[in-house]
Amino acid sequence: MKLSPDQKLDIREVLKDLASYQPKRKGWIWRQPMTNHEVGPFILKDTSKNLINSVPLPAAHAFENMDPQCAVVVTTEIASGRFEDDLRRMRMVAWHGADHIMVIRTTGQSHIDGLIEGTPEGVGGIPITRKQIRATRKALDAIEEEVGRPINFHSYVSGRAGPEMAVLFVEEGVNGAHQDPQYNILYRDINMHRSFVDAAEAKKILADGAILQLDGAHNANATAKEAWKVTPELFVQHAINSACSRAVGMKKSFIALSTVPPMAPPAPKMRLDLTYAVALREVFEGYTFRAQQNTRYMETDTMETTVTHVLDTLISRLTPTNIQSTITPDEGRNIPWHYNNVAGVNTARQTFMGLDGLDDLVTLREEGKWREEARNLKERAVLFLEEILKGGGYFSAVAAGQFVDSGFFPERKGDGIVRFPDKGDDADTVVLRASDYGAPVCSHFGNNIYASENGKACHAYGGCTLCDPSKIQYIDEVDLEDNVETRLNKPLADRDAGLLSPEVEKHADGVVCVTIFVPDSPEIAEAAAIEMAKHMGLGSPEVISRRVMHPAEGSVFEIKGVLQMKINKHELSLPVIEQPLPDKEIEAWVRPRRLHIVGATVGEDEHSVGLHEILDIKHGGIEKYGFLCHDLGTSITIERLLDAAMEYQARAILISTIVTHAHVHEQHMRRLHELATQRGVRDRLVLLAGGTQVTDELARECGMDGGFGRGTTGRDVASFLVRSLRPKEVK
Amino acid sequence: MSGIERPDDFESRRGHLRKLSDAELHAYFWELADKIVEPLIEEARTHTTPSIERSVLLRMGFSSFEANALVDKMKMLGLLGRGAGHLILKVATAKNLSARAAGEALLGGHYWEVLSA
Repeated sequence: MKLSPDQKLDIREVLKDLASYQPKRKGWIWRQPMTNHEVGPFILKDTSKNLINSVPLPAAHAFENMDPQCAVVVTTEIASGRFEDDLRRMRMVAWHGADHIMVIRTTGQSHIDGLIEGTPEGVGGIPITRKQIRATRKALDAIEEEVGRPINFHSYVSGRAGPEMAVLFVEEGVNGAHQDPQYNILYRDINMHRSFVDAAEAKKILADGAILQLDGAHNANATAKEAWKVTPELFVQHAINSACSRAVGMKKSFIALSTVPPMAPPAPKMRLDLTYAVALREVFEGYTFRAQQNTRYMETDTMETTVTHVLDTLISRLTPTNIQSTITPDEGRNIPWHYNNVAGVNTARQTFMGLDGLDDLVTLREEGKWREEARNLKERAVLFLEEILKGGGYFSAVAAGQFVDSGFFPERKGDGIVRFPDKGDDADTVVLRASDYGAPVCSHFGNNIYASENGKACHAYGGCTLCDPSKIQYIDEVDLEDNVETRLNKPLADRDAGLLSPEVEKHADGVVCVTIFVPDSPEIAEAAAIEMAKHMGLGSPEVISRRVMHPAEGSVFEIKGVLQMKINKHELSLPVIEQPLPDKEIEAWVRPRRLHIVGATVGEDEHSVGLHEILDIKHGGIEKYGFLCHDLGTSITIERLLDAAMEYQARAILISTIVTHAHVHEQHMRRLHELATQRGVRDRLVLLAGGTQVTDELARECGMDGGFGRGTTGRDVASFLVRSLRPKEVK
Repeated sequence: MSGIERPDDFESRRGHLRKLSDAELHAYFWELADKIVEPLIEEARTHTTPSIERSVLLRMGFSSFEANALVDKMKMLGLLGRGAGHLILKVATAKNLSARAAGEALLGGHYWEVLSA
């Protein structure tokens, strides 16, 4: 499957022949760092390979349209509920520099005991199934070729079916996964014995499959009452998951800590967060760091969120970070919209590129109070570990409410999450392995009679799916109604008919967002803003962000609503924008032909600046290409113009009509066309009109060959002349 | 039930840690962490779960539906502690079948007597 930048992603093509599709590579992949890399007019220090296709940052046009790529992997999380809509969003974010795409699971999938099949629609995420993963991987395999950089695909190995998910991920070419039994226990109330026994198997599978593992510690930030006080515990959560992972054979470099700067302004964010970030990286030397952006203190103001995330990214830049995750600026108010994933990715890349070469300028001080505070955090974490052991181990500590307590450990407020070892989902499902227990497959953890045999554990029956992917059983659809094929009927019919609707998440959802400032007190202003949105025709208008400018002078609101309409794109009239020919090509054709051009400002018009700019070599006009121009001056009659054209045997007449009243400019154009026709020279001449009130459409209506308005350059006119005259010569 | 309440007595508790260098503190941190996970890993080494067994069957080339059905029945019969994949190979050996055919036979309700023997 090959993508073309001017063609939409063909979802039918993605879904075709999935039963036999195999991912083109497996395992996590990093960017290739490049230093002293010449990009645009600069030599950059902290970059990676450029993309083949991308959308540069907005200011890039001032710098030769450069689009440098930072050295770290950039993550975005996508979850609309319909993977077929998500694929289009993945393509957009890839063009903006994301190369780690995380797919959020549908609400409740962690409580399902086993795998889901088919392509049912999800809520707040998608049901992760083999078909959805395979289709997504296939689309990403094509997208990564389009942009010219590998893309890591990521989802979750938690819940009640962790080991099965891990197998599925390795088989289908998923590259990164969250796996942390503490998440199951604390946030999903899945039995703790079950969670750890499953985790060991899942981790072994991930490790052998070279899948990068992220832990779940960031959840403690997001749920803590005061996020900065949970930092000692975060060391501990990271350590428990990391130690388990190493114990089953995962390399440190494949164990990524999911870490978040906990604070946001107006709190003294940098002072607290940087201290914590440095302390954590010192204790976890050799591990991989995935820096997440703050969600705990996200409100509905996307500008505020963006500034916090810039500071988060600065902290990443000042500490070793391997992966920069991004949070969409709208996550505080709705499930992320397409363009906000792009905005989040841009926040990270804009910050990183702006900080290029920072290490040459700035180092962190080795001395000072912040160093003592970093040390204190480590000691608090050690005290936390000591208390776990003193109380009888991890399970007892969870039962005693030691985790996610809002106190700054060793302070305890008595409000931690409490779970009991014999309770939770799937209590009593852990079974002792018998002395003849066996699992004749690769990537299995623990006691196993097949493991001691020579060669592979799967040797007895010719190899497991990890060795022989042709043995993978592919299930297509299980629900006749709730599947992608059914859901696609409407979008594809709309697309075939050329119908377009506004969209933020799913095909034709109709959602739009308007910004309205109303000059009154907040309550009155809000009520008025909603009424205004209704008058705009927005269905179900809802204020998604409000900000007081002044208690009496006014407030600004962002209002989302639904615009139920379809525009037929085939009925749109678009201005035809033709790129001018290259200078060299114009000159090469014009100069040897010695073409005469007659120009004038017609009628009672003394303004001749416009025509000068088009003709005169000093103003970048068409003379420079070798046209022989005869500017007759201002207030010239049409008759005189034509006389001159015939005298010089000119091939084109340019008239300028700058001041227009009573449609006199239209009369001039019509008269020129008619008189040229009467004198039998119309076919030989190219007739052009220019002026601030002239449009191409109007000029053509009045018999001209073309019209040029504001902003026209000599090259535009010269290019038009060559394109008009060249075909006549061939005839 | 809630956990204990305690004021921030960090200063009085940290005495034994203050004398450690940063490197010693880090080493001690990891010594404690490894000690905490040791029993968890030992339990994982010696136990299994329905999800692990289903994941074994997936790897042996069974679909998720087949793996669910087989593991549910093995669990009901109290056989899971021997390993789902191992049980299928036992049937395959006893009946001279391929692993896949043995699993299909079990799904069809055949040869379970081989396993209870």
